[in-house]
Amino acid sequence: MQTTIEVEKLSKSYNGLVAIENVNISISPGMVFGLLGANGAGKSTTIECILGTKKQDSGTVSILGMCPQTDRKKLFEEVGIQFQEANYQDKITVGELCEVTQSLYKTAADYHDLLKQFGLLDKTKSPVSELSGGQRQRLFIILALIPKPKVVFLDELTTGLDAKARRDVWKSLSNLKEKGLTILLTSHFMDEVEVLCDKICILKKGKTVFYGTIAEAIASSPFDKFEDAYLWYSDEEEKENENI
Amino acid sequence: MKTFNTMLKTELKLSLRGMDMFIFAICMPIVVLIILGVIYGNKPAYDDAEYSFLAQSFGAISTIAICAGGVMGLPLVISDYRHKKILKRFKVTPTSPSVILTVQVTIYTIYSLVSLVLVYAVAKYFFGYQLNGSWFQFGCGYLLVMVSMFSIGMAVGGIAPNSKIASVIASILYFPMLIFSGATLPYEVMPTALQKVADILPLTQGIKLLKAASLGLSIDGVIFPIIVMISLAVICIIISIKFFKWE
Repeated sequence: MQTTIEVEKLSKSYNGLVAIENVNISISPGMVFGLLGANGAGKSTTIECILGTKKQDSGTVSILGMCPQTDRKKLFEEVGIQFQEANYQDKITVGELCEVTQSLYKTAADYHDLLKQFGLLDKTKSPVSELSGGQRQRLFIILALIPKPKVVFLDELTTGLDAKARRDVWKSLSNLKEKGLTILLTSHFMDEVEVLCDKICILKKGKTVFYGTIAEAIASSPFDKFEDAYLWYSDEEEKENENI
Repeated sequence: MKTFNTMLKTELKLSLRGMDMFIFAICMPIVVLIILGVIYGNKPAYDDAEYSFLAQSFGAISTIAICAGGVMGLPLVISDYRHKKILKRFKVTPTSPSVILTVQVTIYTIYSLVSLVLVYAVAKYFFGYQLNGSWFQFGCGYLLVMVSMFSIGMAVGGIAPNSKIASVIASILYFPMLIFSGATLPYEVMPTALQKVADILPLTQGIKLLKAASLGLSIDGVIFPIIVMISLAVICIIISIKFFKWE
């Protein structure tokens, strides 16, 4: 079976400073893939290079067999993206944002159905800025799903949410996973990664320090909890100790 | 086309919700027109003039909306959308971020044309104004002023590093042009020294052009303004295309 996302030897540096080096990622259809690492480890650069919004120095990227730079128009009909920061206009309502998003694609899902499915139908006329954090994140998932994508990119979807809202978002993502959607996500919450991800890649200073399943990550570390293992790989714990 | 229409509808609604352009581009020109109409009525522009003061001011007042949209509205909306990464978001869709820029230009064109129609209607029905010159020449001049003012806005919005700087530059361009180019305060009542300063402002030249076209004066006198407007547009368009920052 063809892989959905194939990244080979991806490298990128800014003014001589290495942001990512030799990153390899391979995501099969229906897989939920977690790209992990501390802030500044190179997650955003990796995603931007995969999406083609930044040009890599070397390496190749293919999504659904297409190149994100040359096949842009065709590829982005089938890819849904949620960015870390909110990218919407002041005073825009939920319905308007969905309607504009829908108009960008040749074949799009009916956003009313999605709003209903995610429990936001009664918010159609509300300004996006007046939604609660959890509602807004659910709206961003809806926006990513409007193109009827085969693959979605979700960047730190649950950052800033309370425990209940995070659980709701997980539930939505699990449902999508069951339906066979391929998902690439980044997250700082290891409980979330443990629940959702089939495979992970941990970046540290732009290099891959672990690549494989959660179970493998725990097995090849001296710990038996994933969060401890993650911190061991990403060395976040060490840094904390230095501060003391 | 579906994308463009949906976006135009939504952006227009958002713009009206903001009220600024409604006030500065639609209401303000009418208020200025009424004030000038009440003060000067149909007095001749100067002793023995063939046209009234109001007729002389029509061209100027009709540019208030262009000025508001071009050097205030456009730069602010572009830098704001870049700051909010809305332009970047369009890069990962099948559409291009230039669509939303085209939509914005269309919106400010609509504001300008609506304002022109309203100003003309008020001038005609309340003050008995008639356009003595050629509508065709006036239309061409109006289009040229619009292109050059909007291209200033594009250039400022495209290269300003952030919304704050865009807003400062927009204010520096907007307020002097609004007051000293003759758009609100009539050029003719300014002292000669001030007129000389006003001549530096590009909108002053644009207004001279529209004045000549609306009064049916000879086109020879306005060759210089035409050259200024065209060069300005060319320079600003080149700057926008070459240096536009999408993120």
